[in-house]
Amino acid sequence: MQVHKYDVVIVGAGGAGMRAAIESGQRARTAVLTKLYPTRSHTGAAQGGMCAALANVEEDNWEWHTFDTVKGGDYLVDQDAAEVMAKEAIDAVLDLEKMGLPFNRTPEGRIDQRRFGGHTRDHGKAPVRRSCYAADRTGHMILQTLYQNCVKHNVEFYNEYYVLDLLMVDQEVTENGVTRLQKRVAGVVSYDLASGELHVFQAKSVIFASGGVGKVYKTTSNAHTLTGDGMGIAFRRGIPLEDMEFFQFHPTGLAGLGILLSEAARGEGAILRNSEGERFMERYAPTIKDLAPRDIVARSMANEVREGRGSGPNKDYVLLDLTHLEPAHIDAKLPDITEFARTYLGVEPYTEPVPVFPTAHYAMGGIPTNIKAEVLQDNDTIVPGLYAAGEVACVSVHGSNRLGTNSLLDINVFGKRAGIYAAEYALTADFVDIPADPLADTVALLDTARSSEGGERVAQIRKELQDIMDANVQVFRTEETLLEALRVIDGLEERYKRISVQDKGKRFNLDLLEAVELGFLLDMAKVMTAAALHRKESRGGHFREDYPNRDDENFMTHSMAYKDPSAVETSGVRLETKPVIFTRYQPMERKY
Amino acid sequence: MSTPTIEKEPASKVELPAGVGGGEIPSFDITLKVRRYNPEVSDEAHWDEWQLTMYGTDRVLDALHKVKWEHDGSVSFRRSCAHGVCGSDAMRINGRNRLACKTLLKDLDTSKPILVEPIKGLPVEKDLIVDMEPFFQSYREIMPFLITKGHEPTRERLQSAEDRERYDDTTKCILCAACTSSCPVFWTDGQYFGPAAIVNAHRFIFDSRDDAGDMRLEILNDKEGVWRCRTTFNCSEACPRGIQVTKAISEVKQAILTRKI
Amino acid sequence: MAVPTVESPRSGRVSPGYSRTRSSRGNFEMGAWLFMRLSGVVLVVMIFVHLWTSLVAGDGISQVDFGFVAGKWASPIWQAWDLVLLWLAMLHGTNGVRTIINDYAEKNSTRMWLKGVLYTATVVIILLGTLVIFTFDPCPVIDGVAHVASYCPTA
Repeated sequence: MQVHKYDVVIVGAGGAGMRAAIESGQRARTAVLTKLYPTRSHTGAAQGGMCAALANVEEDNWEWHTFDTVKGGDYLVDQDAAEVMAKEAIDAVLDLEKMGLPFNRTPEGRIDQRRFGGHTRDHGKAPVRRSCYAADRTGHMILQTLYQNCVKHNVEFYNEYYVLDLLMVDQEVTENGVTRLQKRVAGVVSYDLASGELHVFQAKSVIFASGGVGKVYKTTSNAHTLTGDGMGIAFRRGIPLEDMEFFQFHPTGLAGLGILLSEAARGEGAILRNSEGERFMERYAPTIKDLAPRDIVARSMANEVREGRGSGPNKDYVLLDLTHLEPAHIDAKLPDITEFARTYLGVEPYTEPVPVFPTAHYAMGGIPTNIKAEVLQDNDTIVPGLYAAGEVACVSVHGSNRLGTNSLLDINVFGKRAGIYAAEYALTADFVDIPADPLADTVALLDTARSSEGGERVAQIRKELQDIMDANVQVFRTEETLLEALRVIDGLEERYKRISVQDKGKRFNLDLLEAVELGFLLDMAKVMTAAALHRKESRGGHFREDYPNRDDENFMTHSMAYKDPSAVETSGVRLETKPVIFTRYQPMERKY
Repeated sequence: MSTPTIEKEPASKVELPAGVGGGEIPSFDITLKVRRYNPEVSDEAHWDEWQLTMYGTDRVLDALHKVKWEHDGSVSFRRSCAHGVCGSDAMRINGRNRLACKTLLKDLDTSKPILVEPIKGLPVEKDLIVDMEPFFQSYREIMPFLITKGHEPTRERLQSAEDRERYDDTTKCILCAACTSSCPVFWTDGQYFGPAAIVNAHRFIFDSRDDAGDMRLEILNDKEGVWRCRTTFNCSEACPRGIQVTKAISEVKQAILTRKI
Repeated sequence: MAVPTVESPRSGRVSPGYSRTRSSRGNFEMGAWLFMRLSGVVLVVMIFVHLWTSLVAGDGISQVDFGFVAGKWASPIWQAWDLVLLWLAMLHGTNGVRTIINDYAEKNSTRMWLKGVLYTATVVIILLGTLVIFTFDPCPVIDGVAHVASYCPTA
């Protein structure tokens, strides 16, 4: 066992992780652990842009941005966090520009901005040009720019180190005569993929920035590697997960493949049509039509298909029409996504509409944090030294539905905050002693997977999991489908205990890696389904056909899912609630 | 160029031509041959072969996944995003450097076996996985980050659309190493900086905001720098992002010459 | 289950074979690169003029003999022309072979040997060639015997 000691350890090297590393690396001794190489992270797949009220091309201010974020999240957004994000968005964009990010420019040489779904002028009056962008590769540019700056600041990366466990100790704390258990972070356990060795990283601060969990679904825009590891590790260690029932389905994934076509396409003027050639969004969102928030557009598309107006041989998708746009304009603003349509579907977007269908895209929920990116162990107690930022976290700025571009903003604003606060904490705090036998759980986890001879295949279980999640926990949900999903997942968990991994070696045992990842996927699927079952209303990305309306009286709260083996009815997931923070906006009906 | 506002609203309803959006997806059989190497088992590399039934939109990565998930779990390769933006799965497919996730099987000659090997010139660690450290070392050496002199402006730095366009092509690089590992000069001894490092230097040398172009030109004026390029165009051909790599290298050569003379 | 311990591929960070020795910071390679391009252009012109005057103009190929060469080299212009042609061609060719050795030899020691042979050959050929251009005698007398060609003045 090798032990490394750092002030700050960052788990994940996507946008949030590297943004944090740039801050903490300049303040404290920092290591970044990633199961990939930093530039492989899925931030690079983000396309459309990053919103900030720069007002470079038209009147705008951050308060309108806050409002759009709150309304877009169907009022389940913590408004203090949304204010922080919208206000700091401006600096976040300017920071990136100063780091070298090649934004598209206006004729005056300023950062250009374009429209994006749900972003409006003066509280919903009209679409506003708020999204700063670099063609349709904004995420790629952000990822590259952040990596470049990590190189500049000599950030220490441990590439292909897969973090498998979070080391925490429980301490008794007495406050005002009440004794309670306080979690404290000691470090992480990591598996070096290249050698198969386990390494312990002792750290004063740990930042989780390990991304999302899109691979619980079959049709997803997410990378193969997005398996909810960070959420899973935290959950297994007794940290709750917040708002896991809310998962965003991006309206325009390439039909059948799930590959993302940016909302920027609609921002630049593309529209959706059904098999009858009708621009159906005019019926669902008369004011902003195709630029309505993603949950509304995705649901409308699914509804068109359900009512038989889907296109194609199986009538199972709708069409994204760019044919009325100038080819030169498409080439300048949307080069990559038109390339995707050509490469993967053989469709020429200049002349033909592109088959699209909603694709699983983004987890609004995650590890609960406050606006300093500090992780909460319950509704209001923080875990000193533990931070989370990005998709793995739930601040919650996205509420029940994230607005387009706000994820790139989230990683930059809260990644930066996590880096600063984690480093500051590390400079004042002491190391917490590593618990005795820190590798025990990890070794057990790996040995079970490696030595089991049960004959069940990882890929088969994963496929069945993804199938049931796509069928039962997608855009439309009912009590019946959710209960069935939970039952199926329980069955898959039983079978998971009997999996066998064919690769028995130590070096780059990716077969073993996939088995471990499946364990996290199963856990997360269970949490998502249990949380969806618990929320008997429809809000944002969570639509219950048996409860089709928003119910502010009973459900204007965040859900908090705890691991609790005694909660038998919901497969070991206990659900509690947490109040939403309101500052200036009272809930209104969400109409576009 | 700024975003033009869309003047004319598209029609609410149009007649769609028949057959829009494609028809049935055909299936076909392929033979996949993968170069296997695992030093834990043997020092010798060998070929393994599988017969697979695949579909019209399947890519080489799908075939590799089918093998790994249904036949032999020990087949090892890197992959992540699966649509050509993360750069994990550069490999030699039928002798050419390609991303497995961007190479459609139907575009290959399926009557013959499809050969998949690790990219050349970097040490193979297992099957299709190579050691990427030498590649990233060259990248780090060219100082791939914006260096500016003088005061930071409070707002953004200004840059004209033309100046932005000047280095647009080389900002697309995803560091997949397809170019560097397609370069015969790099294959020899791995000393050459390689196309990818030069492309990323180009991205900053021609960025009007950057003030360290001279330093990067000096680094690439090394005996292992741009002058080892033989303009074989392998790199341009290999680039999955369509970057004109050889052109970028030539522009760097010219920049060094103009500076010196 | 016994798994042989293999060294972690990351343990040595960058494999030693790939690390560059940062020695040459001069402009030699740039000069060599530029020389190849410029000498190439000049050589194309010079070689074709050379070929034309020798093989096409006048009586064509049948005119070429010792006397023809001597006649040409009687003029200092042709002497200079051929001198430049010799040097440029040799240096151009040598530099070309040098890059080929750099590109294809995998070991530094092999490179050193091959280049040693190459440079020696180049020096010998250039010196001999230069010597011949300035001392060429079409009717030499060796050991008192005149090697008389038909066109030499009879003794």
